[in-house]
Amino acid sequence: MIALQARRARRTEHVALLGLRIAAGFVILAMVALLVYLAFEGTKTFYVDRFPLWSFLFSPEFAPDANHPGAAVFIAGTLAVTVFAIAVGGPFGVAVGIFLAEIAPYRMTQVLKPAIEVMVGIPSVVYGWLGLTLLVPLIRTHTSSPSGFGLAAAGIVLAIMILPTVITLSEDAFRSLPAALKEGSLALGATRWQTITRVLLPSASSGIAVALILGIARAVGETLAIQMVIGNATQFPKGLFAPTAALTTEIVTDMPGATAGSLLEHALFSMAFLLLLIAMLLIVLVRFALRRRA
Amino acid sequence: MATTAAVRTPRSVAATGSVRKRKMADAVATVILWAMASSIIVMLAAFILYLVYLGGSAISPSFILGVPKETTAGGGIGPEIYNSFYILVLTLLFTTPIAVAAGVFLQEYAKPGLFRNVVQFSAESLATVPSVVMGLFGLLVFVYTFHWGYTALGGALTLTVLNLPALLRVTQEALASVPGALREASMALGGTKWQTITRVVLPSAIGRLTTGIVLIAGRIYGETAAIIFTAGLSVTGNHPYDLNPFHTAETLAVHVWYTHAESLVPDVDRIGNGSALVLLAMVLIFNVSARVVGRALTKRFTGRAS
Amino acid sequence: MKRNSARVALLLGLTLAAAEAACSSPPPSENTAGPSARSGTVQVAGSTAMLPLVKEASAAYQAAHADAKISVSGGGSATGIAQVAAKAIDIGDSDITAPNHPELVDHRVAVVGFAVVTSPSAGVKNLTRAQLRDVFAGKVANWKQAGGADQRIVIVNRPRTSGTRAVFQKVVMGGIPLAESGLVEDATGTAVSIVKQTPGAVSYVALSGITGGGLAIVSVDGVAPDETAIATGRYPIWSYEHMFTSGTPRGDAAGFIAFVTKSADLVKKNKFIAISAMKVSETDR
Repeated sequence: MIALQARRARRTEHVALLGLRIAAGFVILAMVALLVYLAFEGTKTFYVDRFPLWSFLFSPEFAPDANHPGAAVFIAGTLAVTVFAIAVGGPFGVAVGIFLAEIAPYRMTQVLKPAIEVMVGIPSVVYGWLGLTLLVPLIRTHTSSPSGFGLAAAGIVLAIMILPTVITLSEDAFRSLPAALKEGSLALGATRWQTITRVLLPSASSGIAVALILGIARAVGETLAIQMVIGNATQFPKGLFAPTAALTTEIVTDMPGATAGSLLEHALFSMAFLLLLIAMLLIVLVRFALRRRA
Repeated sequence: MATTAAVRTPRSVAATGSVRKRKMADAVATVILWAMASSIIVMLAAFILYLVYLGGSAISPSFILGVPKETTAGGGIGPEIYNSFYILVLTLLFTTPIAVAAGVFLQEYAKPGLFRNVVQFSAESLATVPSVVMGLFGLLVFVYTFHWGYTALGGALTLTVLNLPALLRVTQEALASVPGALREASMALGGTKWQTITRVVLPSAIGRLTTGIVLIAGRIYGETAAIIFTAGLSVTGNHPYDLNPFHTAETLAVHVWYTHAESLVPDVDRIGNGSALVLLAMVLIFNVSARVVGRALTKRFTGRAS
Repeated sequence: MKRNSARVALLLGLTLAAAEAACSSPPPSENTAGPSARSGTVQVAGSTAMLPLVKEASAAYQAAHADAKISVSGGGSATGIAQVAAKAIDIGDSDITAPNHPELVDHRVAVVGFAVVTSPSAGVKNLTRAQLRDVFAGKVANWKQAGGADQRIVIVNRPRTSGTRAVFQKVVMGGIPLAESGLVEDATGTAVSIVKQTPGAVSYVALSGITGGGLAIVSVDGVAPDETAIATGRYPIWSYEHMFTSGTPRGDAAGFIAFVTKSADLVKKNKFIAISAMKVSETDR
């Protein structure tokens, strides 16, 4: 009787483990399928349409109708909005992360942390809608920009959107530092601010790097919020208030109308594949930063 | 790294100016950091109040429950709210078992090695994939390869893959928070590993797990870019509340974008403002209920207050 | 270790096989009929200019045929063509023809006029075609240079896949490219709302998409875009509205196309022009 029970338990154990493994395998399968599908569609520009990779990356002329889909404008646009977002949102986010880990009293964290979680949850179209109804008219009336759409509007929206990522991860980076580090510095007579800037900040640098890299990843991939405010003009970002376009916004602007099998469609898939490669590169960077810490 | 910083400290502190100056800098920095942190709360409050101000007047029973109009004023968003929940339920139905099972495997069974590494790396990579790229993947698979057209199911499956890594992480963190002593006690009493997991570990983790799932549900509810290309931009003809997963299903978040981009109704601002407000309200509801439900479940299954 | 990786390989193989089995067994009716027969719904998508007409017609058609299900989306003309060619939908709406898809069946259901619209503050009532070309090629930057107020010109373009853009390019611009410095907005509705909000903005939109006030409609070479001017060929910017099907339509798809073509009152109400009213054809332009 007991032996039978034990055998049954062992069998359950085996079946369960197989099920769990398959579920874990599904994660790999999903990533592999994504990579294979996009690699296949995303390289057609080069091996079906014979458009040189070099020109795709560096030519500013995006004219798929004339067999010349150069994506440099969109790559530059993605770069510009990302740099803008991380330059504004990065330091701000790290500062608030420091505040949460080192300064904020319990009651403040009880308010701030749920607020940040709500910020994560706000859908990107709502950020876009706020940008469209609040930010764009503001820029239009207070700057030389005739339309209000453009790099600045997109960059500001993005800077706000990456804040939760940067704040949460840099707070984690500070909290994971050994307490002795802080206590030692304070015991030696350093003020709290000196302790933060001279001791904690350098020690947490790899964790902060991770926070910033994942903030960059968020910025590079964000689509609809900035598509609603960037202006979607196929031109290099000529200034803070000039309309431009990014890889993601170009995909969402032209993909709905792209004919299956056309060069335009292939080029847009190439852009998506490029975005995927950027995302994977950033993850490798994160792993590298984490290994340095370990 | 840590030690060099600690060793460096006394000299650099000694090298800086007077005590008063240092204290002054400390006070200024503290004030600035307080201001920055408070500005986030102020900004969020401003967003919420602004959306309430914009959309508040649009909210009425006929708006929440009515069907959208295409060319005339007075349309509602009932089917969109319904579709959002429908796709959300479908997505959670697929993604929860897979993510929880994979999480249990990684956290409780897998030994360090190639397989675990590859799963972990795949999950991390999936987590950073831009949602528009995921949308194109869904388009390739469900619309082009399977010839489903734009369907609720295609949208839900795309969202499943998109949210798998986040849910996996939530599971792993929830399991990691269960004290090891609990597992040891169960094993010592003769429980098998699987029994330990299903009867001891998972019940202890259920509170945190549920909190995480509901928070992710909030994100699924608001996702747009991934499903524009898979679930479509309209509700089904004169059967807007549709249970068929093979029909197009425009969600509320997609409706906000579509209203901005393509709608021709004269009261486009009212619809957009109202929809954005409803979306925001849903996110707040998901956030609050995540905490409440999570706490209640933890209490029920473990007798502890979390 | 070796055993472990063998297991991993086996496992992956299993999952892949399972996934493939799940994917490769299509719904039973897949091979026998198009999407309409499978889902019981006639799926229509494409031109946003046609959207109001098609949406309203679909409501009327479904009211008259209780068991008919028609789902209508926008997406743009090229989307409509692309998707009907891929058999993802049943009817593709388009402002333009589909020369790349000779296999599609073209149904002309109406004529649409396009208007050049500006924000009222730009202060222009009439532009010659040469002036229009200069404005949209980015050669002039201020309305002053085109007889209007001293205000910077903000061009609002449509995406390169837009049918409206294609018609405007062909009829007005000829070989001259549209200025890339313009904003690009997804659809008729967005273009209209941005022109309303932005001082100095100018765009080209379907007459059917102009709702409410707050816009100045510009005459072209002295002719305002109204039904008579278009029907007699005096106003040049117009095109046929097409419904494309893959093969001869059947059932509700065929019924719906015929319904739209015959609903002259719906056509007129949505500011389109019935095919029967046209006194010129596209080749006369």
